[in-house]
Amino acid sequence: MCGGRARRLRMEADSVTGAVGHTAVALALALSCYGVIAAAVAGRKGSAGRAWHASARGAAYAVFLMYAVATFTMVYALVAHDFSVKYVAQVGSRSTPLFFTVISLWGALEGSILFWGFVLALYTALVAYGGRRSKQADSQRTYATATLLAVNAFFSLLLVKPANPFAPEFPVPLDGPGPNPLLQNHPLMAVHPPLLYLGYVGLSVPFAFAVGALLAGREDEGWIRETRRWTLVAWGFLTLAIVAGMWWSYEVLGWGGYWAWDPVENASFMPWLTATAFLHSSMVEERRPGMLRLWNLCLVVATFLLTILGTFLTRSGVLLSVHAFTRGPIGYYFLGFIALALIFSLTLLAARADRLGRGQGRLDSAVSREAVFLVNNLILTAFTFTVLLGTLFPLVAEAVRGVKVSVGAPFFNRMTVPLCVALLFLVGVGPVLPWRGIQPGVAARSLLVPSVGGLAVALGSVLLLGVRDVYAVLAFGFAAFALLSNAREFVEGTRARRRATGESWSLALARLVRANRHRYGGYIAHVGVISIAIGISASSTFRQEREATVRPGEAVEIGPFAVRFERLWAREEPHRFVVGADLAVLADGEPAGRLDPRLNFYNTSDQAITTPAVRSRAGGDLYVNLLAFERDGSSATLHVIIEPLVPWIWIGGGIIGLGALIAAWPEGRRRRLIRAARRPGADEEGGDRPPAHEVASAVAHGAVS
Amino acid sequence: MMLIRTLPALLLVLAMAARPANGSAQTPGPAADSALEAATRELASQIRCVQCQGLSIQDSPSELSKEMKQIIREQLAAGRTPEEVKAYFVARYGEWILLDPPARGLNLAVYILPILSLLGGAVVVVVLVRRWTRPLGDAGAPDAGAGP
Repeated sequence: MCGGRARRLRMEADSVTGAVGHTAVALALALSCYGVIAAAVAGRKGSAGRAWHASARGAAYAVFLMYAVATFTMVYALVAHDFSVKYVAQVGSRSTPLFFTVISLWGALEGSILFWGFVLALYTALVAYGGRRSKQADSQRTYATATLLAVNAFFSLLLVKPANPFAPEFPVPLDGPGPNPLLQNHPLMAVHPPLLYLGYVGLSVPFAFAVGALLAGREDEGWIRETRRWTLVAWGFLTLAIVAGMWWSYEVLGWGGYWAWDPVENASFMPWLTATAFLHSSMVEERRPGMLRLWNLCLVVATFLLTILGTFLTRSGVLLSVHAFTRGPIGYYFLGFIALALIFSLTLLAARADRLGRGQGRLDSAVSREAVFLVNNLILTAFTFTVLLGTLFPLVAEAVRGVKVSVGAPFFNRMTVPLCVALLFLVGVGPVLPWRGIQPGVAARSLLVPSVGGLAVALGSVLLLGVRDVYAVLAFGFAAFALLSNAREFVEGTRARRRATGESWSLALARLVRANRHRYGGYIAHVGVISIAIGISASSTFRQEREATVRPGEAVEIGPFAVRFERLWAREEPHRFVVGADLAVLADGEPAGRLDPRLNFYNTSDQAITTPAVRSRAGGDLYVNLLAFERDGSSATLHVIIEPLVPWIWIGGGIIGLGALIAAWPEGRRRRLIRAARRPGADEEGGDRPPAHEVASAVAHGAVS
Repeated sequence: MMLIRTLPALLLVLAMAARPANGSAQTPGPAADSALEAATRELASQIRCVQCQGLSIQDSPSELSKEMKQIIREQLAAGRTPEEVKAYFVARYGEWILLDPPARGLNLAVYILPILSLLGGAVVVVVLVRRWTRPLGDAGAPDAGAGP
């Protein structure tokens, strides 16, 4: 009796789930539209429209609440296996482990758009929240909120119409196919997508602030600091996401590589490149108000448009790739939105172009940090253009010639490796050159040790390691050069501080970084970039691989290793069938651990999904993939790869994340007051200057570095 | 431009070629890294895997890619040039099978435009830096930061 009633109640609840989610998303759409209007009115009225400002903030919070409800509802539906919801019927399965059931929230189109909306609503609410206490009406922020809400409205529209995850499924199936096997084979799938969305979606915020500054007519003051902070945050997440994605592909796809210039990779990489360019060029404007302003605005706009374009390319199925899991009308919505955003941004920039100035800068010498940043921007922009062209070219060729062509890794490597090498060189040169320039002799002295070190490493790689490729030699040499040059900044800074304060080395270093978070956060990020460059260069230069079919007891020998095949095993799991090989690893004849590469057979996929086994050490990885096997266990075909220094790619990603965190960390109140006091021309948040006594007391408390 | 080969592919070949000098004492099996094997790898990394998007048949672990790689090996062993082997695949799958679009006709755009953009940008940078470092003329504050 009781059981029957409970089941009936449960069924009623199930049919309600979809309705709740759909209503929440529809309300989010209505609220974002209202918020855009309220914020626009508030922005126009300025300080007179206090109530409107508050109302727009309220709308932003409400949109976030609606997205939280919708996202929670979807997670509930997934976990409860509510197959009356279409999305659950598409990606759910009773046999999928709970962990992968939850993360299948972003495993297919509709869910990933929902999650996108959730992250965007979170950022929107945070931006709105940041303006809650400003004494004067902060029109720039209010317009930024309006911009973000407009983007929110677009994604809500997608969720209401073409990508409705809460659409009902009828008849209700008893079970579903489960998520794409590739996406439920590794826990990194729980890490990479959220980071990617935090980074990708986060880049809407700098765009919103740029638009806000232009609309509010505040582009001549203070837009840059807020924009730069948000860019740093999003860029940090995006960096971590890209590296986590590389790691995932290394750990899952089984070919021993981590980057294939796949369109979906390019889509995440292009905004990263332009955001990186902005992080550098914005420093010029931060120091010299007005310099490069128009260019900086263009970079921010381009970055945002590239994120939307990337989403369009990967979500509309216009380019086929592993990740492009759909085809449908959604592509037209995206195209329309991109066109609107492009026209809107260009119009706005053109309308304000006369007020944006012509970047009247003064330099004492061409050998200056400003000039290095210009070259850095030139290379990063050309890099972006190359990747964009290569990614879109197949579409162009098909449209013009009617012939399908591929633009793949060989093309991208050939075109971009020289650019990467040049960037690596700049990473070493930039930190040494002071702003505005100096006499070349001083720069040469600072670069003496790094140059000698770089030269030694380059020569060593040729003579001792037998490297013959010009770019590989340059990459190793410049990596050493850049590492020494950035390390030199830490050493010199710490030494100077020790002389002044008498602190211990570690304390002086910690305080040095704390007092100049921007600068040293940047250098730490440089170290991460160098680490990644070394990992990539070494693993592609010194990679050794061997493929062999072996019987039990036989070994595949490669470098110092022997990988002995012992036996084959198989295991039935609820959602898959797993075949694995037990391997014993010998390094120089000594036992050095065991590996078990596996092949996974999912019910829903005819292709086996590989789980390579990796023995990871700081010096490099031993990577073994099980390619094939005899059913009776009499033999296994193994692909064994030695990949030197690969772990330094992942470590480098973490170092960059740390650098971004340090650079983006909010300044303490005291330090902010001091900076305001030191630079009377500099603006403060909300435009209000701190009272003099506060500054004096802050200075007295010894916050001066 | 032909000098600029794909880095990983060439390096791989070089690494393979350099290895005997390192004194490795491995038993030469059927998969020994001979010149043929190196040439096969070089070519295989330029041919697209038909099933997996974006990977070359050198990188792809799929069965079909292995068979295609075997075809390359056999044809090279039979004395065909790499260009002839490529043509063999293009005849069957179309230009699409090459990861590197052949540099002719419209495809030239994809090679030339990036270089042009770099050169054009370089001119802009040079002009800007020259303007910024030009000694000041008659009037104007040295710190002409903001625009008019």
